[in-house]
Amino acid sequence: MTDTSPLVRIDGITKSFGSTVALHDLDLDIAQGEFVTFLGPSGCGKSTTLRILGGFETPDKGRVILDGQDVTRLPPDRRNVNMVFQDYALFPHMTVAQNIAFGLELKGLGKAAIKARLDEIMTFLELDGYGDRYPGQLSGGQRQRVALARALAPDPALLLLDEPLGALDAKLRGQVQKELKSIQRRTHKTFFFVTHDQEEALTMSDRIVVMNKGRVEQDGTPEELYFHPASRFVAEFIGETNLLNATVRGMEGNDVIMDWHGQTLRGHVAPGRKLPQGPATASIRLERLGFGKVRPETENAVQGRVIGSTFLGSRMALDVRVENAGDAILKAYVDTATGSTLGDGPVWIGWDADSMAVLND
Amino acid sequence: MPSDAVQTRTAPGTPDTLPFWGRMTRWSPYRAVVNVIYGSPRRQFLILAIFPVLWVLTQHLGPMVQMLRVSLTSAYPVAPDTETYLTLEHYIKFFGDSIFWQPFFRTLAFAFVFTFCTLVLTYPVAYFLARHVSRKNQMLMLLLLLIPFWVGEIVRTYAIMILLGNTGALNLVLKTLGLIDRPIPFMYTSFSMGVGIVYLTALYMLLPLYSALEKLPTSYNEAAADLGAGPWTRFRRITLPLTLEGIGSGCTLVFLISTGFYATPILLGGPSTTVFAQTIAGFFHTAGDQWPTGAAFASIMFAAALLLTVLFQRIIKAMRKGDTK
Amino acid sequence: MTRGSRIFMSCIYWAFVLYVFVPLALMILMGFKDSKFIGFPIRSWTLDWYTGVFDDGAVVSAFGYSIAIAVLSTLVSILVGTWIAVLLEGRKFVGRPVVFGLAVMPALVPGIISAIAFRIYARGLGIEPGMGAIVWAHAVHNVPFVVLVVMARLSTLPKSQLEAARDLGADPMVVFLRITLPYLVPAILGASIFCLLLSFDDFVRSFFLGGYEPTLPVLIFAKLRSGMSPEINAIATVALIVTAAIGIWAERFTRRMNKDSKP
Repeated sequence: MTDTSPLVRIDGITKSFGSTVALHDLDLDIAQGEFVTFLGPSGCGKSTTLRILGGFETPDKGRVILDGQDVTRLPPDRRNVNMVFQDYALFPHMTVAQNIAFGLELKGLGKAAIKARLDEIMTFLELDGYGDRYPGQLSGGQRQRVALARALAPDPALLLLDEPLGALDAKLRGQVQKELKSIQRRTHKTFFFVTHDQEEALTMSDRIVVMNKGRVEQDGTPEELYFHPASRFVAEFIGETNLLNATVRGMEGNDVIMDWHGQTLRGHVAPGRKLPQGPATASIRLERLGFGKVRPETENAVQGRVIGSTFLGSRMALDVRVENAGDAILKAYVDTATGSTLGDGPVWIGWDADSMAVLND
Repeated sequence: MPSDAVQTRTAPGTPDTLPFWGRMTRWSPYRAVVNVIYGSPRRQFLILAIFPVLWVLTQHLGPMVQMLRVSLTSAYPVAPDTETYLTLEHYIKFFGDSIFWQPFFRTLAFAFVFTFCTLVLTYPVAYFLARHVSRKNQMLMLLLLLIPFWVGEIVRTYAIMILLGNTGALNLVLKTLGLIDRPIPFMYTSFSMGVGIVYLTALYMLLPLYSALEKLPTSYNEAAADLGAGPWTRFRRITLPLTLEGIGSGCTLVFLISTGFYATPILLGGPSTTVFAQTIAGFFHTAGDQWPTGAAFASIMFAAALLLTVLFQRIIKAMRKGDTK
Repeated sequence: MTRGSRIFMSCIYWAFVLYVFVPLALMILMGFKDSKFIGFPIRSWTLDWYTGVFDDGAVVSAFGYSIAIAVLSTLVSILVGTWIAVLLEGRKFVGRPVVFGLAVMPALVPGIISAIAFRIYARGLGIEPGMGAIVWAHAVHNVPFVVLVVMARLSTLPKSQLEAARDLGADPMVVFLRITLPYLVPAILGASIFCLLLSFDDFVRSFFLGGYEPTLPVLIFAKLRSGMSPEINAIATVALIVTAAIGIWAERFTRRMNKDSKP
């Protein structure tokens, strides 16, 4: 791809199953080399999108353009897209080498070319020496790599990954996340990853698309989504957050002035975004709250009392009751050293205007 | 790993033969066939469905329909220069003579009794296997019971003849024990027939019972015991209702099979135990146009067996509903 | 469960094992009796009856005839049954319950009725009694078992396997040949053995559809009608050993295959 047109263009796709609308007028561009993650709860339409890209479902409306070609109605075997399945779907009666060669044979490669490509991809994914094993004789992590090798071998323009880490245990998962990201970087392949696990999405993606009820909730980098969630759904779905039911009083440039139980709070919004006066929800991440005996130098500060704490090792989770704020409770993470000095007395809680996102719902 | 590796590796000019599947899928006759079969989902379904549907209609349903047709025809096989007409006379014949309906009701009664005997005999065996034997041994012990059932009907019937004959093993044992002076004539009675038929059908009862019992979690019984239910109550209130489905399918199978035996009643039964299968067969062994009568009688028996089976399934279903409420 | 009832239950099991095995054991034993008359006690022993089996041309040819019928009918049953199973499993269409019901029907028709129906139908089609008629009747009668076994296996094939193959460039035909069919092999082999045994053991259909040449069960039946003799024991024993050996081997074989090919 030398021009700037996207590798994949999803153009107004709608898909219903019976009376349930799985996807509602979805538009999306994916650039060459991107690691895009579709994130959302089950039934949000992320898997349907994946299956439409793979050719396993045909949308009711809209088009899928891959590499400038309309592939909306092309069956899976005739599009240059490969998939890593949730259960890996390795063929149990074929060896690792036969599994990986499957797509190459059907692609029309000669025997020597298949052999060369097989060696190359197996070395690349550290599968040397496993060629004659059967999938049943491999560990979970090895199977996952074979599935990846099999999907990458035919050199697809787009690689689809359907929650491929779900079957791995928690310890292995972290390691595989790093591997997967590094493989994506080294191959410059476009990865379309689907998951319901926000941590997975944040770790690996260049870009996350949060889906809910068949619609895109927010589309942005992991940092944007985490610190500037656009909606209550995103704020709650990704990470842990305090949601404040506040009232917008007015705007000062890019700052929004809010009233929260008699306390005046200041938050940042994206340039050009205007908020009407009236009720609004503000979100502050738990680790963005600072504590001290004296009023901190932050734009926002309230006084409160620690009413509960949980020891989590290197850090502590606190429940703080804010005084003069209708007994509202804020949750916070602090490092253990700070947390243990707070005691029962009154404390100051402060945060920057920049850490507070105002949600539009 | 460069992303265009696949292309760079196949240098032009170097001959590189395609593997079998690569060659086949590029072979034009193959492509043509695939395009014809999978042209559209509708066509694909039609090509897949046409043969099985025709087969079950002509080969599975056909014989039964033809039997019914023949049973309503005045004469079959049709002799030259004669005309046939539709008639119910062969069915009416059935009710006219006790020599016909007696074996009929005897067959049904026998089938009932033998089915019940098989159930009572195999339930404890299935229960023991499913509940008291470790998983590994279960398969072995079940296999042990399966072996004799691979042996054919005739051979096993013959084995029962040797067991029950006047100079058979059972009489020998009884005589040696001093229980009898003269051999008891077990053979050619409904008893010998029963032993034989139960021997032949036990497996068809055992397997459904075993799979029903095996699926039943032991925790149900433990919970019942915990609530103070004794062994008998546990069996009656928990195990039995939850294995009704297995009992139902086992009994249906054994009943249908029992009504259809032909060789076993001939070899093990006597004049007083003539079953309907023998009556039906008689019409096909004698010369002349007895086939319609035989077909009519077979139809009557099939209808009766089906009716009773459906009735039985209804009862089981009603009982299960009552218990799952 | 108390210890007492456990012992009681195990006694019932072993009593059942005796019930199942003793008659066959006695039958085998009787084949060694050095007398023309069946019955206990056995005073002198001989191997003549067993060696005689292999010299009797009629018995040997009945063996061959039965085996040929079993093999041919099994081939037909497997082909048809697998086809029906592939159509029925995991596909919804109008009339599917009807097709399924008809597909399993032959297994539920009582023996004598099925034999009579086949006899009449064969005549209507102009098939003379004989090998062709028996092969056909056995094939139809055994199709339901193939359908059920193959459907059960097919229902455990993960859909993702088929999708993965499509994804890697296989057309539906290649998917069937390289994924579905290999997955079905254990079921097909198991069903084949079952069909072979059913056909080899069948009496009633062979009896009503047979010509002058008897299958082995029909031959034994005919001999039995003219009187019991240790000769029949020897023939029956050989038949028993053949079937039991195939059965045991098949059981072990299919079990192993099922274990190996779990995805």
